[in-house]
Amino acid sequence: MNSTKVYISGLGILSALGNDIKATEQALRENRSGISPLQLFPVQQQSPLPTAEVTNLTSTSLPRTHTLALAAAKQAMSCSPAPPDAVILGTTTGGILTTEQQLAAGEKNPDKYKYHGLSTVAQTVAEQYECTGKAFTVSTACSSGAVALTLAMRMLQAGEVTTVLAGGVDSLCYLTYYGFHSLQLVDQEGSKPFDIKRQGMSVGEGSALLLLTTDRPEKPLAELSGAGLSCDAYHAAAPHPEGAGAYLAMHDALQDGQLSTEDIDYINLHGTGTPDNDLAESKAIRRLFPTPPPLSSVKGATGHSLAASGAIEAAIATIAIQSGLLPANTGLQQTDPELHLQPLIQAKEQPVAAVLSNSFGFGGNNASLLLTKADLFPAPAHTASKSDGLTILGKSCITGAGKLAESMASLLQNKKTGGQLSTKEISATLPGKNIRRLKRYSRLALALANDAFTDSGTKQTPENIFMGTGWGALSETYDFLKKLRETNEQFPSPIDFVGSVHNSAAGQIAILFNAQGANITSSGGDYSFEQALNTAESMLSNSSPAAFVLSVDEGHPEFSTLFDPSIEQAAELADGGGCFHLTREQIAGKVQMHSLCYQHKATADNFKKIAGNYDLILAGIPAAYREEGEQQLTDCLQEMENKPPVLRYRELTGEFASASAVAAVMAVHLLEQEQPLYPLENKRILLLGLGNTLCATSFSIL
Amino acid sequence: MDDLTAKLKEKLIEILNLTDVTPDEIDENAQLVGGELGIDSIDVLEMVVMVEKDYGVVINNKEIGEKVFSTLAALSNYISENSPNLSS
Repeated sequence: MNSTKVYISGLGILSALGNDIKATEQALRENRSGISPLQLFPVQQQSPLPTAEVTNLTSTSLPRTHTLALAAAKQAMSCSPAPPDAVILGTTTGGILTTEQQLAAGEKNPDKYKYHGLSTVAQTVAEQYECTGKAFTVSTACSSGAVALTLAMRMLQAGEVTTVLAGGVDSLCYLTYYGFHSLQLVDQEGSKPFDIKRQGMSVGEGSALLLLTTDRPEKPLAELSGAGLSCDAYHAAAPHPEGAGAYLAMHDALQDGQLSTEDIDYINLHGTGTPDNDLAESKAIRRLFPTPPPLSSVKGATGHSLAASGAIEAAIATIAIQSGLLPANTGLQQTDPELHLQPLIQAKEQPVAAVLSNSFGFGGNNASLLLTKADLFPAPAHTASKSDGLTILGKSCITGAGKLAESMASLLQNKKTGGQLSTKEISATLPGKNIRRLKRYSRLALALANDAFTDSGTKQTPENIFMGTGWGALSETYDFLKKLRETNEQFPSPIDFVGSVHNSAAGQIAILFNAQGANITSSGGDYSFEQALNTAESMLSNSSPAAFVLSVDEGHPEFSTLFDPSIEQAAELADGGGCFHLTREQIAGKVQMHSLCYQHKATADNFKKIAGNYDLILAGIPAAYREEGEQQLTDCLQEMENKPPVLRYRELTGEFASASAVAAVMAVHLLEQEQPLYPLENKRILLLGLGNTLCATSFSIL
Repeated sequence: MDDLTAKLKEKLIEILNLTDVTPDEIDENAQLVGGELGIDSIDVLEMVVMVEKDYGVVINNKEIGEKVFSTLAALSNYISENSPNLSS
């Protein structure tokens, strides 16, 4: 057994309450709300809705989300000269506000959209602080910030890294402002969680980053000592009415940190102020806590900053522990008696040793974090070693050529699989009632998961889902913004908004398989599959049940050519992805997949680490990074004694962000062949992701 | 069945992508939400948008919403009583 404490050594926070820790603490002490009518961008409504805006933000040439992230990073890194080993950010908006403005102006130049992708936020922060390691992006809607911190904690506990800069960020934008409005989830008078007259949330923005380390700093601010993730597997947008997933997340966070309900001094509620969320959350709290400790939601003060909120509230929990300050449930006047909870009406000063902080989101994604006073509780023991790699039980893929059989037949004959499979063919095996509202991205994902499960021939249904996507739900995002513009901002589709989040597809898979475990969507541009795989390897322990690891992208006639620099304007679109049903269990004769490296900036050491005896290299070189990619490939081959054949698979699959998932399926397929196409002396295949990141994944037979 | 109800059936099939259903198969007196068509709260919001956009009738109150969307016939009645676009 291993016991590793994860310390918080630096903190950065920006929200409607202020642009640093001191201003935030002051506002919390005064029970002041940062909610006021929207000013950030013009809207065509007569009276703009209440929002929670960050003010006095010094703008940069980058989109607002990136600017918010950099400002929080500067604060968190102020006392730490050394670069962090990894950067892990939760975000749902990326560069969308800039994209919306460019689209409205009719801008057609792809260069103007180069910061659209979610992954560019973490990359920008990594570059600013010279982090060469993992620059990861988690996108699980409103739990993103908390899930990013959970992933960072697991990587630190495993000893993979020593310092991680992690948290969440989102900026206000038309999509979220009008999206939540279309769902009738916005309180016209400003959010007042748990109040009898609550009508919804106030959409907000902000960022918070925590510098986490396993090296005990001289003055630790607090410890991140536990986390629980769950998925409702119930509905795309509404919470489980009994708060089943919320209960599970809180329960698991306490168990993870080995504390009991009596140890908790304060609960920071998710408390968005929507009638359904507050009711479900209160039920979960009362079920877990016989006598709940003091509790409050700060969202009547900070608004709901979506992907940032989990990190902002972890930062506020740290302030609570540091200063002995319990924040008030700002905006609350008369508590709803149906909730049977009494949140704090005023801020309260008293010592705080342990805080539970909740974050829940669309897709039924729940996260609960446990933060404690530094060095007060013993370090929780964790199962030390994990087996290397994940064992493949089943696989599936979709390309322009078809599903698994057709795709593999084409690839093995060196034939192109580019293009797009028709939506009808994708949906053929899916239950009609589950897919009525789903567009291409979610249908691709659901079909892949369904096929991988069938291929495994087991009854072991997956409980955890790790999904990658470079660009997410392009059709829903495009359709929402188009209708918004065409109707003078009056009638966008609520169905499109719910489907537009990157984690909508993984949420649908969870519903289909009743998968209630961790459900994490990662976005890493052309390396999204590899990010999902790394996330799975960090999150799955030896006792974890089976999981899906997949990556999916849809080709969109308007957006793909604007956003993805590897897709030429006139090129035929390609899309699809691959999925594995897998387990930590080692099974003789099965193929094992293992990530060897994921580096934001490659160094000579990385190439040495990758070197080995392989039968084949599947090289993923996105067209936009051909020169760098080819150079990296040369450097990599130089470290290898045998010179295995190299297949540049994008020449066959076409250019799309999740092409590496198809290549991964190909690697497994080749190793499983009885009559191998390539001589398989070593029974090992290497999948390389090259270009603006270096990643390597090995496939071998156990 | 009046023209408005017939038109609403077509619109429902279109905006909610009820591809397996024909207008004739929708019973305007059957429970709409949570009934056989599999319509849930998000679909209701999509219908709210359509009703406001096409008929100028705003439904932004949960209690009224529950009554209006109880059946398709109730929706049809509410629109004909409140729509400025259907003054005939």
